[in-house]
Amino acid sequence: MENGYLNTEAGPLKINAAGEVSTKKARARKKAGLNKDAVMTVLYPVLFGILVLVLWQTQVLHKILGTDTFTLPLPGRIINIIFENVPAILKNVQATVIVAVGGLLLGSVLGYFLGIVAMAFPKWGSGGISIASAFTAVPIVAIAPILNNLTKDLSDDPHIRSMLAKTLVVMITCTVSMSINAYRGFTELKPFSLDLMKSYAASKTTIFLKLRVPNSLPYIFTALRVSVPASIISALVSEYFAEFIIGVGRQIRESIVLAQYATAWAYILVACAIGILMYAILLIAEGVILKGRRHR
Amino acid sequence: MLRAKKMNVDYSKDLGSDTEELKTGIIIENLSVRFPDKNGGDPVEALQNINLEIKPGEFVSLVGPSGCGKTTLLRTIADLQQPTTGTISIGGLTPREIRLQQKFGIVFQNPVLYEWRTVRRNVCMPMEIMGIPKPERTRRVTQMLELVGLYNFGKMHPHELSGGMQQRVGIARALALRPKILLMDEPFSALDEFTKEKLHLDLQRIWSKTKKTIIFVTHSIQEAVFLSDKVVVLSPHPGRISAVVDINLPRPRGLEIKDTMEFNSLVSKVRNSFEGV
Repeated sequence: MENGYLNTEAGPLKINAAGEVSTKKARARKKAGLNKDAVMTVLYPVLFGILVLVLWQTQVLHKILGTDTFTLPLPGRIINIIFENVPAILKNVQATVIVAVGGLLLGSVLGYFLGIVAMAFPKWGSGGISIASAFTAVPIVAIAPILNNLTKDLSDDPHIRSMLAKTLVVMITCTVSMSINAYRGFTELKPFSLDLMKSYAASKTTIFLKLRVPNSLPYIFTALRVSVPASIISALVSEYFAEFIIGVGRQIRESIVLAQYATAWAYILVACAIGILMYAILLIAEGVILKGRRHR
Repeated sequence: MLRAKKMNVDYSKDLGSDTEELKTGIIIENLSVRFPDKNGGDPVEALQNINLEIKPGEFVSLVGPSGCGKTTLLRTIADLQQPTTGTISIGGLTPREIRLQQKFGIVFQNPVLYEWRTVRRNVCMPMEIMGIPKPERTRRVTQMLELVGLYNFGKMHPHELSGGMQQRVGIARALALRPKILLMDEPFSALDEFTKEKLHLDLQRIWSKTKKTIIFVTHSIQEAVFLSDKVVVLSPHPGRISAVVDINLPRPRGLEIKDTMEFNSLVSKVRNSFEGV
């Protein structure tokens, strides 16, 4: 009997030693595997991109597409235009980024808040969320003029007026995906986790702060992975309809109207760069904030 | 050497075995729980006319096949489920009063750890809710992790641990609250036999040090007999108590006890008590 009892004391320690070794190994393996995967996922698209660039610069691409260097200018020329017009481009980039990021933040905060409201009133909350999702079907092209009208009297400065209108367009685009995902993040809890909180006599506020909010974090990033690219696209498109002529999207349109295709392509390249940069920032933030969780 | 020393520390005071407050006996009288049928038919009788007395500091197992209401009985004691008729008294108080006083520690079928918290912060979580000051929290977390043999794993995240280790974190978290009553709902059912046996011995050691009232739900007769002072046999349709078997095996019990005649005759006795299975 005494013997068996002593064994129990030693038991957990043995597991510790073995467990420690195995988890360390597993971690090392995971790290190495991740690095290899990461390299591959970056390498292949980069190689493909270089291939396209070479075909483009050597005009093979033009032959395939049956076009000329006026309509599809060569990459070298596009890069030249960017370097020659840095101040003008930066001014337009600034306008677009303010609209995209401002609308993204406002829309995401509003969407998260709507998610909280839907969670707090579950009877009509989930129904309300599905109705909200119908809004995503309304095209930006239709919303933009309405918002231009709406913001008409808000300011005497046409620049501020149209910035507001554009930001509102982006905001609407971003609100919906965040509200749906936030609601899911608040309500899709692990089995028994609510019971556990109840057994501690935790208040609704405590359950919200200690369980629902942390549980919603990965869902926030799911929403942002949709909203970040969407915010840039809607910022670009809303600029088409804005009263004041500024922004990367607007410059693309103006240059195409004036048949300055090289300038248009310069701005298209800049728009791509903004998108990639914002998405990269998002992925880095996600990696830092969700560190230690199993699911991305 | 240092570790061995730590393991020998007497935790009985720190685990809240305050003898003057040992009035946590549980009396269940005429308890019934009915669930409304989803399709509008007759309500389902999950528990029918349950009468049971559990002494303070007793280790009681509820054993029975699926659908016999053993989990429902545990949840009703924990005030996570309301009785249709009958009463439960815990040291003269209702389950709700005990729950609001935060006197329950519960271990569920799966560990229910928060993946965003490290092991230490998972064990800490209920104490944060109860507003226990930080130095005290830190002290207790260290103690509990030593008790369940996971002291070196405090900084890891749950998914880096094996199933058995996760379950032990859950037990540490339940004990850190110094609950008067520990309710365990099939806590080891998802584990392999080797881990299970280790945890049986660990649980017995923890129980003998802390003298808590433990109610342990399981579908394994051997597990129930090995761990308990008393095995309550439940039968399904409707869920009812068909027998209460006292287990008078000496303690502490080692694994070799499973080979003895007494153990096996008790297992048979429990097995023969089932009705309508």
